[in-house]
Amino acid sequence: MTWVEFPYVALSAMACWGGGSLLGVFSEKRQALKITGTVLMLGGTAIMFLFLVAFWSELDRPPLRTLGETRLWYATLIPVVGFLVEYRWNVRWLKYYCMALAAFFLVINLLHPDVYDRSLMPALQSAWFVPHVVVYLVGYVLLAASSAAAWHNLIRRRRPLETDGESLSHYLALLGFVFLTFGLVFGALWAKEAWGHYWTWDPKETWALIAWLVYLGYLHATAVNVDRNRLQWYLALAFLVLLVSWFGVNYLPSAQNSVHSYQS
Amino acid sequence: MGSKEVKASLDAWSFKEAFLFSAGVVVTGFVVEIAGGSQGVALPSWPLNFIILLLLAANIVLAGLLLRKSPFVLWLGGIPVGLGLIAALALLSFFGGVLPQEAGKGALWTQKLRLNGVFSSWPFALTVFFFLVNLGLSLVWKLFPFKASNLQFILFHAGFWMALACGVMGAADLQRVIIPLYEGRSTAKAYSRSNAMIDLPFSLYLQDFEMQEYEPQLALFDPDNDRLEIDELLSNQSIAEGMVTVLGDLEVRVEKYFPFAMKDEKGNPVPVSADKGVSYVKISGTHAGKAFSGWVSTGSPFERPAFVTVENRLLVLVPGSPKKFRSQVTIRTGKDEDSRSVALEVNSPKSVMGWKLYQMGYDEKSGRWSSLSLVEGVKDPWLPAVYLGFFMIMAGNAIFFWKGIRKK
Ligand code: HEM
Repeated sequence: MTWVEFPYVALSAMACWGGGSLLGVFSEKRQALKITGTVLMLGGTAIMFLFLVAFWSELDRPPLRTLGETRLWYATLIPVVGFLVEYRWNVRWLKYYCMALAAFFLVINLLHPDVYDRSLMPALQSAWFVPHVVVYLVGYVLLAASSAAAWHNLIRRRRPLETDGESLSHYLALLGFVFLTFGLVFGALWAKEAWGHYWTWDPKETWALIAWLVYLGYLHATAVNVDRNRLQWYLALAFLVLLVSWFGVNYLPSAQNSVHSYQS
Repeated sequence: MGSKEVKASLDAWSFKEAFLFSAGVVVTGFVVEIAGGSQGVALPSWPLNFIILLLLAANIVLAGLLLRKSPFVLWLGGIPVGLGLIAALALLSFFGGVLPQEAGKGALWTQKLRLNGVFSSWPFALTVFFFLVNLGLSLVWKLFPFKASNLQFILFHAGFWMALACGVMGAADLQRVIIPLYEGRSTAKAYSRSNAMIDLPFSLYLQDFEMQEYEPQLALFDPDNDRLEIDELLSNQSIAEGMVTVLGDLEVRVEKYFPFAMKDEKGNPVPVSADKGVSYVKISGTHAGKAFSGWVSTGSPFERPAFVTVENRLLVLVPGSPKKFRSQVTIRTGKDEDSRSVALEVNSPKSVMGWKLYQMGYDEKSGRWSSLSLVEGVKDPWLPAVYLGFFMIMAGNAIFFWKGIRKK
């Protein structure tokens, strides 16, 4: 399966998530409906997983090269974080935000169809390619979930602040930061092998650093007692910087000569 | 440092002062930059950079140990100042990440402030300097006395200090040169970015430059509009005999495909070895009731490409993008016959006498037939120190991952 079949896949996945969410939200009492809802939600993610596997085998390379391809991974993995958090900590609401975010990434892909291209330029043919990108993906997925949790806390602020919700956004951010740090260092080590220097202030690198600094700031702000409520705002908005560093860089004036723009 | 002292220092010098201080650092930097004619900072090279770094480290250790009770030093090495500097660095990086970083680019006022070269500017240098002071002081307090429970903190902060300090101060000793190699010739000459010639302590002999390409693609060329139409959704689909593809309003069938072929005396393509031939594809189809067919080929520097005309448009074969390129090189060191043969490839550099050699480029007009290979030589004596920093950060990160999960 390729981008040709993608619209059908994306629409089915979104229909599953949407239908499952409706059942999940409005069927607190009826067990049968609730189970159907859960099955539907998991089914939507399963569809995405199967598509990724089929796409990978069709491409003969990991589908991690273009932005459109990485958005597929987001759409697949972000809901998984939501499901895991529910399973582990019994927090039910996070998954809805996660599915909404996943659908957002799928819609971007539907509006900007990607080019089906099997080639992988020599600079990307490296043992570092998969670890570097995957570590970043996981980090971004966790931080996306952290931002979703923070938004939830802000929207629900009138009620007594749910401490479990607050610590959820906090722990997801810490975990995401760990992955960002690995991603940054892996990227530097790879750059040395591929381009001769570990850091060249290329726009993509610069923005990765900015995103890292933003979360580093969060980390240190929590080490001193900064007002918790304000930090929820911080986490909610910090994800916007991440979005720029991942998708926005190619559109900036600084990016004309970037070695990291693989889309011609 | 005891938590009481932290509290005390926070009360006395709060976030407001810390952020004012960082803003002051940045503004001072801009003032110095303008006053200095927007030339940026010229970093000293070996051994002066090493001496300066040593002095900085010694001063930080002394200040951290001797002035442990001074509210000012406590504040200078505290989190609020760290946060202010992180914000300052993020802001400067923001300018550097949005505006093109090229000499002579951008509006005049951005050039005056050196926003087109942020990462060698005075505000950046001053911010990094205080970063190192802040980070260094906090490190000294966690190092003396040493406690195992501080290990994660130490690895992170010391690793970052090492990587940042050595990366920035070592930049002046970093050498990146281009070594042009021609097949069958030997050279020991390299060129810097500013075109200065440099003699290398070894010589390189290029035996062979090889390149593999991805498969060629069929395309429709419209000369009137200078437009090339490729079947985008299925581009790079493997060309195979019997395949049917749609180009614009044409349906094209692949009758025969020779990845590497040459025309014989009669003008018919026959398969040959990869280094001699180019791709030939025989296609057929119908358009507006008329059948068309014929050979298309990518051509080469020695051979014109073949195409098929359909009314006022051309069916052509576009060469695939480069998949792999490699230089088979003999490296000779010293006067004797000390030599070894290596294959330089993208992502697979080779080390020789403190230099790292990278496959960089080739003559793109000749593509697969290029007899020129561009090799980049990089010498970075500070690399081990920076890498030590990286590995400390990763070790601290691993501990953090573990503890962060377990703490809950
Ligand atoms: C990048 C530059 C960094 C700067 C300028 C910086 C600065 C500081 C400063 C000044 C402190 C206060 C030390 C004290 O009060 O004793 C601190 C604490 C801390 N830093 Fe950093 N840091 C940096 C990087 C990092 C990194 C990469 C991490 C990774 C997790 C980190 C984690 C921490 C933690 C957890 C504390 C609190 C320590 C405690 O409360 O015992 N820092 N940092």
